[in-house]
Amino acid sequence: MVSRELRTRKGKNTKMAATFGILRLANRNMLLSPQLMTRPFVASGLVHRNRLQPAPTTQFHTSPRSLAAMASSHWNAERVLVLGMLGIFPLAYFVHNPAMDYCLATAVVLHGHWGFEQIVTDYIHGPLLPRLSKMALYGASILAFAGLCYFNYNDVGITKALSMIWHDL
Amino acid sequence: MASVLNKSVALWSASRQPMIVALQLSRGAQTAAAAAPQEQPRLKKFKIYRWDPDKMGDKPRMQEYSVDLNNCGPMVLDALIKIKNEIDPTLTFRRSCREGICGSCAMNIGGTNTLACISRIDTKLSKATKIYPLPHMYVVKDLVPDMSNFYAQYRSIEPYLKRKDGIQQGEEQLFQSVDDRAKLDGLYECILCACCSTSCPSYWWNGDKYLGPAVLMQAYRWMIDSRDQFRKERLEKLQDPFSVYRCHTIMNCTKTCPKGLNPGRAIAEIKKMMAGLA
Repeated sequence: MVSRELRTRKGKNTKMAATFGILRLANRNMLLSPQLMTRPFVASGLVHRNRLQPAPTTQFHTSPRSLAAMASSHWNAERVLVLGMLGIFPLAYFVHNPAMDYCLATAVVLHGHWGFEQIVTDYIHGPLLPRLSKMALYGASILAFAGLCYFNYNDVGITKALSMIWHDL
Repeated sequence: MASVLNKSVALWSASRQPMIVALQLSRGAQTAAAAAPQEQPRLKKFKIYRWDPDKMGDKPRMQEYSVDLNNCGPMVLDALIKIKNEIDPTLTFRRSCREGICGSCAMNIGGTNTLACISRIDTKLSKATKIYPLPHMYVVKDLVPDMSNFYAQYRSIEPYLKRKDGIQQGEEQLFQSVDDRAKLDGLYECILCACCSTSCPSYWWNGDKYLGPAVLMQAYRWMIDSRDQFRKERLEKLQDPFSVYRCHTIMNCTKTCPKGLNPGRAIAEIKKMMAGLA
């Protein structure tokens, strides 16, 4: 039975898994329990705190508390921004002034930044890569905001520029 | 007394005997009559995901089976049982109640997560029905997924009544108004088959940290129970970027739910409560 259990293990640390497997099997309850039927559960070489339970292949955990306080207020801020944009965008059609230009620059960049942040959180995993990607994203967003501000300050501004596309080109 | 009882039993069975025989006869005649005109076999192909952990180096593959629909029940589970009984006893899948109440036979049939027992066999014979285990789950064998992570997540939301007034169980009743009870409709019916959670891309990519629609709907079910006194604490436990906020409201969960429930709405209600809007 031991060899049958061990044969099915895969991966690099077969040796480690073998040792732990014997440890686990040494327990009489484990030998009698139906958990012997669940071999693939113990595919990972990790030993669960409770020897009677096989280590699940996925280790369940929640996110660190340091990020926790932000979660719902961040969601609220996103909703406020989106609702604000619903008002600002039609208004920008009629009102062309520097205040509106800077409002648009902020709203567009912030909305884009938060959207991409969600994508990074969803798809980029690992210990280091998410942090690097977020830093790169901050860089890109700051650059975009600076560029729009530069355009607003030294040129005609966003609202004027867009109206020129329709009227002057 | 005993003899009287015996006699009455004997009488009862004697009087029943002819009726049972008659019933069996008529039933046999009926099935014979129904089977007679249909001689052409209606062969339906099933392509089923197979993987055996006991075979060293075995790779997952699709195996094709043909089932004559004339001699098979109407549901996909009937076909699976028929294949296991008559064609290939090594085919492995979970099933129990065969009527959509236990959630054991959740699998991906024709591209949709559903319960095999309440999903009708597509009678179009030209097309093979493909059956996979629940998507993006670790596979134990063939159509059997490893549910341990899903159950660990369910345990983490403490799915039971919690009180602050120290009422002992069985001591007194906790009354609930008809309206408060009605709030639980559409939530308590969930059978935890995991069809919704495993249809959710966010759950595929972040299943270790995102709780998923099924578990979140149960979290909501205990938050809004008028008898539960830990709503604030339950909400606080979800205050992180992953537990709830990986939901982007794409509503695959609601679309696929074999019980017709709406986990997407429950998650939206949780988000509203966390935002202080409800």
